[in-house]
This record gives sequence, structure tokens and C-alpha cells, in this order.
Amino acid sequence: MSSSPAQTVPAPSIVVIDDDPAMRLSCRKILAKSGYRVESFEDGASGLEGVERLKPDLVIVDLKMPGISGLEVISRVLEADPSAVIVVITGYATIDTAVEAMKAGAYDFLPKPFSPDELRIIVQRGLERRRLMLEARRQELERELLRRRFVTFVSHQLQTPLAAVHQYLNVLRQLEDDSEGAARRREWYERCLKRVEEMLALIRNWLTLSAIEGQCLAQQRVPVDLNSIVASVLEECRALAEPEGIRLEARPAPEGCLCLGDPVCLRVLVENLVSNAIKYNRPGGRVEVAVQPVDGELELSVSDTGLGIPKQYQPFLFDEFFRVRQPGAAGKPGAGLGLAIVKRIVAELGGRIEVSSEPGQGSTFRVRLPAAPSGVPEEKDRVVCPAQNSHRG
Amino acid sequence: MSSARPKILIVDDDADFRESLAVFLESHGYAVLHAPDSEQGLLRARLERPALILMDLMMSERTEGCFAIQQIRRSPELQNIPVFVVSSLYDKAPDFRIPPDRAWLGHDEFFPKPVDLERLLEAIRRYLAGAGAAQAEAQP
Repeated sequence: MSSSPAQTVPAPSIVVIDDDPAMRLSCRKILAKSGYRVESFEDGASGLEGVERLKPDLVIVDLKMPGISGLEVISRVLEADPSAVIVVITGYATIDTAVEAMKAGAYDFLPKPFSPDELRIIVQRGLERRRLMLEARRQELERELLRRRFVTFVSHQLQTPLAAVHQYLNVLRQLEDDSEGAARRREWYERCLKRVEEMLALIRNWLTLSAIEGQCLAQQRVPVDLNSIVASVLEECRALAEPEGIRLEARPAPEGCLCLGDPVCLRVLVENLVSNAIKYNRPGGRVEVAVQPVDGELELSVSDTGLGIPKQYQPFLFDEFFRVRQPGAAGKPGAGLGLAIVKRIVAELGGRIEVSSEPGQGSTFRVRLPAAPSGVPEEKDRVVCPAQNSHRG
Repeated sequence: MSSARPKILIVDDDADFRESLAVFLESHGYAVLHAPDSEQGLLRARLERPALILMDLMMSERTEGCFAIQQIRRSPELQNIPVFVVSSLYDKAPDFRIPPDRAWLGHDEFFPKPVDLERLLEAIRRYLAGAGAAQAEAQP
């Protein structure tokens, strides 16, 4: 089945409810000329039925009608669909009622007599509002879906290490106390501690992510010496890299090249990228962190000689909880929040991030950040490297 | 001639979980086989024909365990092996509720994590006691 070259979205649909046949006719003509689909009804009862059936994008209703009043129509329509957009037509003498209608939830009112243009303009605005409301509702649903996924995944992420620790302790409790047991006991204590640290890291990441979302994380816009942050982070990560024999290298930017942003956020950014580069590396591999001025901005690049990221996973890399599923990557601790945090921070800083990766060879993450205005600032204006926080992913 | 210890296969991506459970089961006279994912689990099951399989549900893929159990039930040489599901994904998850219902999942017993080791031991003994009887019971 081939799709037609000009596939259009269906035209917006409008329902007109007015007991005056001339009004109904002229509204239909004017609006149809603008390309809208219009259906009209002569009273409140049939109008309400029509709205329920057609689910229009906009409803135009006359306030003064016999039978079910315009105000009643408004309240019934909104009851069924709180995001419905309703325009009321009023006679000059019923301006007060129009205000009442607005309070009841109508979007706008149009006093009679009105010109075709006036009608068109008000309809256009109403439809725009409808579009925005639908968008907001969709986003709300999306957020709810994400929240549920979040809850499920996080609860599993916490339950897994807890179950492991519980079982270690439970089994230890039952085993005989012999020489073999003593060595095993010590080994298992270490493993329990590791799993507990994993849980603590998860919780910290959780909080970091919501702090960024809730904009609670300190956000200043000051000149920051990225070189010193990088040096400090690499120092801090040495303990992580050493057991696997991974070399950490820095290629700092020339003196005086400063970044414009929030020092705490920048630190979290570098920490997450570097710890990922170490985690997903091969034993004896290398992590290089470079900072250089490019096109009036600063580019931070973090590259590793790790497993690489297959092309099909690259679009999902920055999604919350996403972790690459491939042999060799199994069993890596971490909830997959690190890159989501990175993405959020980059957005907050007004930067961009991209990744290039060759499976089997390694990956490079490149972040473009705004540079502070040129010129070496006075010592007193430089931001001192912020104290080490573990917002690591 | 030593009597062979009954073999139990644990399929779970959490190495710590497998290790402590293995030590526990070994101390109660069972031989334990390990598999960190469903693919290796099925391979080992075919090679070693364990008397029982302990299967995690959510490994690196969300429903990995479910598909593995399906495979086991479809495979003539494996379908009579009792399968115990061991999973922390149960009951509290808002969008992934597993009815511990044999008709749905094809398992024989369900153990939430953390595992009640006494209950597990008792169930293992029950299923392995009469291999023939246990096989008949394991039929869906």
C-alpha cells in the first residue's frame, strides 16, 4: 500500500450550536471557506449529542437559546472534555452573560453582529489553543508513562542488590564455621559492601537527576576552569581505573580558556563521562580527556578504548536507564542514569553533545560548551574547583 | 561408586545471587550449574539435563526468563524438567505484574526475591523425591 504524496492531517472540525438558521448558515459558509469541517445544530440537546459524536476541535454556541441554555451546554461539554475549546456568540445586550460564560470555562466570546474576519480570527486563536492543550495532555501522559517505567525499573534496580545481600547474609548465617567458611565469610562481606555501594550510587543519581530537573542544582553562569575540573576528576577516578590497569590521560586546553557555566554541573558532567569511559573500557585500556577551543566554544572530549557502542543503540544512549546489552557489558553496576544526567546538564549549560563509536575499538563523547569571554580573568574572578561530590552515574 | 548428586541449574544474571545460592544448595547435597543468561542456560540444560532449573525472569532483557521457559516447554528433551521462577519482579511493579499462574508462565513454583531458603529447599526435595511423580506433576 503506497501512501499518497501529499498526506494531510484532517482539517479541524467545528460544531456550531445556534437556534437561528441564518446564523448557522453563515457560520458554515464562512468557516468552510477557510477549509474547516463544520456541522451545525439547532439546539442544545442535539448540539451536545453532536459534540459527543464528532469530538470537534472547537465548539461555537449561542448563549441565548430556548431549551438547554448556552451556559448549560458549556458546562456539559467541559464535563466530558475539560480541554474543550468553546466560543460563545452573544447579543450586545447579553455581555454580562458572556463574562459569566468565560467564568464557566468558555475560551472567548463574539458579540453579534460580527464580520467574517472576526469569526475567522477568533476561531483561529481557539484552534491554536486546542492544539496546545492536546499537546499538554499528551506530554502529561508521556510523563506518567515515564514515571511508571521509572518506578518499576528503580524498584528492580534496588531490589536486585538487596536480594543479593540478603541471600549472602542468610546463607552465611547457616553455614558451618570452619576455615573455609572464614575465608568465604570475608569475601562475601566485601561483595555485600559493593552491592550496598551500588544502591547508594543509584539513589544519589536519582537525586541528582531530579535536582537537575527541578532546577535545584546550583546554577550559575560564571567563568570556570574546565582544565582543573578535569584534573581533579581524573585524580578522583584513579582508584576506579587502577584495578583494571586503565590509563587516564588529560589534554588540557591552553591557559586562559575558560568555560561559561555552572561549576557544580560541569563537575558532575565530567565525572559521569569519565566514570563511564572507565567502566566500559577493556583491561589495560586508556581514557583520554581533552579540552580545546573550537569555533569560539570549548570542546570537551572523553574517549575510551572500550567495547564501543553498536550503531543501533546510539539513538537510545542518553535515555534514562538505557544500558547497552552486549556480551562483555553484562554485570556492570550502574542504573544507566549517568548519560541521562549528562544530557540534562549539557542542555542546561546551553551546549551540545555527540558520540562517535566503533564497536570493538572504543567511543568518544564530544561536548560543546559556551566559552567565557576571552582574556585571562583576574585570579579573584576564577572559580575555585568545586569540592568533590559523588554525583557519579 | 558414589551416588551422583542431583544437578540444579541456576539461570540468573546476578553473579552474587548465583554464588550464595550455589553454596547453600551444595551444602545440602546438590550439584549446582550456573548460567548468566537464558541462552547459556538453555545450552547447559540441553548438555547436562539438570533435575531442576531455577530461572530468573528479568535478566539483561526484561522478559528473558519468560521466553526461556517457553523454549524449555517446547523442547522435548527439556519439557519435563521442573522450573522454579525466582524473581524480584512481582506484585509491586505498577506495569509488569506476573500472575504466578502456571498456565500463563509454564513454571512449577514461584519464589519472590529475597528467597525463602527453607521453602525452596522443601520444594526442591518434594519435586526431586519421586522423579516420575514430579514429572507427572510438572505437566501443564
